[in-house]
Amino acid sequence: MLNIASFMLEKGISQETIILLLMIPILATLIAFIRQVIGIKAFGVYGPLITAFAFWGTGLKYGTIFFIIILITATLVRFLVKKLRLLYLPRIAIVLTIVSITMIISFILISILGQNGFLKISIFPILILIMLVEKFVGAQMTKSLRTAIMLSIETLALGILGYSILSWQSMQEILLKYPWLILITIFINILLGKWTGLRLTELRRFNAIIKHAKNISKK
Amino acid sequence: MLKTFLKSKGILGMNARNLSYIRPSNAGGSMRLADNKLTAKKILRKNNIPVPRNYGIIKTYQDIENFDWNKLPSDFALKPNRGLGGEGIMIAYGQKKNGNWVKASRSELSQDFLKNHIRNILDGNYSLFNIPDTAFFEERLKILKLFKPYAFKGIPDIRIIVYNKVPMMAMLRLPTQASDGRANLHQGGLGVGIDMGTGITTTAITKMPHDRIIEYAPGTRLPLSGIKIPNWNQILYLAVKAQKVSGLGYLGADIVIDREKGPIFLELNARPGLSIQTANMAPLKERLERVKGLEIKNPKRGVRLAKDLFGGEIEDEIEESSGRKVIGINEQIEIIDNKGTKHPIVAKIDTGAYRTTICRTLAEQFGVDKMVDEKKVKSALGIEKRPIIHLEFILDEKRVNTEAFIADRAKLKYDIIIGRRDLKRFLVDPSKRVFMTEKTKNKHLLQSLKKRLRHRLGR
Repeated sequence: MLNIASFMLEKGISQETIILLLMIPILATLIAFIRQVIGIKAFGVYGPLITAFAFWGTGLKYGTIFFIIILITATLVRFLVKKLRLLYLPRIAIVLTIVSITMIISFILISILGQNGFLKISIFPILILIMLVEKFVGAQMTKSLRTAIMLSIETLALGILGYSILSWQSMQEILLKYPWLILITIFINILLGKWTGLRLTELRRFNAIIKHAKNISKK
Repeated sequence: MLKTFLKSKGILGMNARNLSYIRPSNAGGSMRLADNKLTAKKILRKNNIPVPRNYGIIKTYQDIENFDWNKLPSDFALKPNRGLGGEGIMIAYGQKKNGNWVKASRSELSQDFLKNHIRNILDGNYSLFNIPDTAFFEERLKILKLFKPYAFKGIPDIRIIVYNKVPMMAMLRLPTQASDGRANLHQGGLGVGIDMGTGITTTAITKMPHDRIIEYAPGTRLPLSGIKIPNWNQILYLAVKAQKVSGLGYLGADIVIDREKGPIFLELNARPGLSIQTANMAPLKERLERVKGLEIKNPKRGVRLAKDLFGGEIEDEIEESSGRKVIGINEQIEIIDNKGTKHPIVAKIDTGAYRTTICRTLAEQFGVDKMVDEKKVKSALGIEKRPIIHLEFILDEKRVNTEAFIADRAKLKYDIIIGRRDLKRFLVDPSKRVFMTEKTKNKHLLQSLKKRLRHRLGR
């Protein structure tokens, strides 16, 4: 049988490109599963997915550090800017400005500390992380700060999980060997999309009612 | 673990709410209606559902300049049309001699300040995705004296989930200091479950910092359970009617009781939250499934069905603490004949009578008419002798073994009345009536017709 992956490799398309493209459906399905069955929300599919890919570029250590620095700065700035009562886009632009200034300062600090490995990192994954700011600030505005922080922690956790799958050697090999496996994810997602059962987190949330029902049935 | 899983089946989760209830029941148009307060109000008002009165609508910057500030009364609420979770609402409680209005915090609201706030609303600062919005002034609803000790600053409202024209579950939402006067659970308000049958509050919960049960209003020793909501029937009726006219098959209705005007409809909600289940200690999905597909002819029926099907939480508590069963003024009982066969029939609970009395034809029909004694009875018609028989029946799962009168009850509504002598193990709630399904109702009709016929033939 013709293997699309090996065909692409022969044509000179890089292995990294193929792996990353094949990983998108796998990670997206995983995130959908975690949302519908386990109940961890994060910032949609986009948030954790893009975080995982950013971590792929920066490495886990720097990725996590930047993720946290960026979100903390964004929250602080948002609170300061809130008092100015500005329209949405200019407000986000100010937040992004301060975040980039913070990044410039951290770049300088890290290079002074002499972390050489860090200098090799491409800027694009870090830009991606900065763009998460809009999602985060949006969540803070429509929901509460608490929820926004919860969602960010969940996004970070799913990002790390996604990253570990991305860099999982055997997973990469399987996908290169059997690229058609990604078609199965469509079937899985149809099932997930029709799933009406309780999420695991909801079992905990409604624990009191479940216990109550048990007590009643005992009598 | 498996048991937990089975018990959780009746609970409504996010997945089922979205896929099985909101998606099929709430069409796009009705969803948009719920998000547009002014249009929703217009439609509700047209259908005779009371809503807060509008004092003025401001759509453009030009409108701000042209607005006649003198026509505003001394108290009002200023709201964004598409506001979320109570954001951007400003409430004036009174007016000073210098023309400024006063907020709950006693700080003053000048005309310039209000104009600036309206500009912010028009710019979309309080709407989802910051779409340009409309601002409007409406009448300020006044808190009921009864609720005052429980609420901080704002006004409590009653959230009712309505599905298929039947109220499913209800909750009183109380604003707290943490929620800054808003009744929203996400912002720290309290949710207090309400017994559907009686309109009396049961369990109270807070979501902040996480879902948990509380007993007293914060900072007080006032228990949150046992509050009787006034105008309960009317509130349920309004909720059902609003569901019908809004086209939202699955609706969260928010209703406020105004001190002077009574129940007033505040807001339609197309995606009502799930915590109402914890506040009521009851699973919602189970209830939804029970009414799914039923044909409810009018709102009154929906309300009655809800009270019969979902009421009784208070009753359970009373039964638990008193050890006695709560029964209504009429109950379905089962008469046990000599062979042990059970005959279902509806009896009237009559605390005015000492002994239970059964109709002669019925006793004969069941073969329990063997006389064991006889007693003189004084009645309005003079003194008469009535035979006494042995009678065994089951009332609300309890077996009652007694001696009962036999009398001619052919012309009376009930074939059997149950007297005080046999009610010692029960508590009677006069507001409770047995729910008759169409089937049992017809059966009864048939039975009483047959009885009358037999009676006539016997003569």
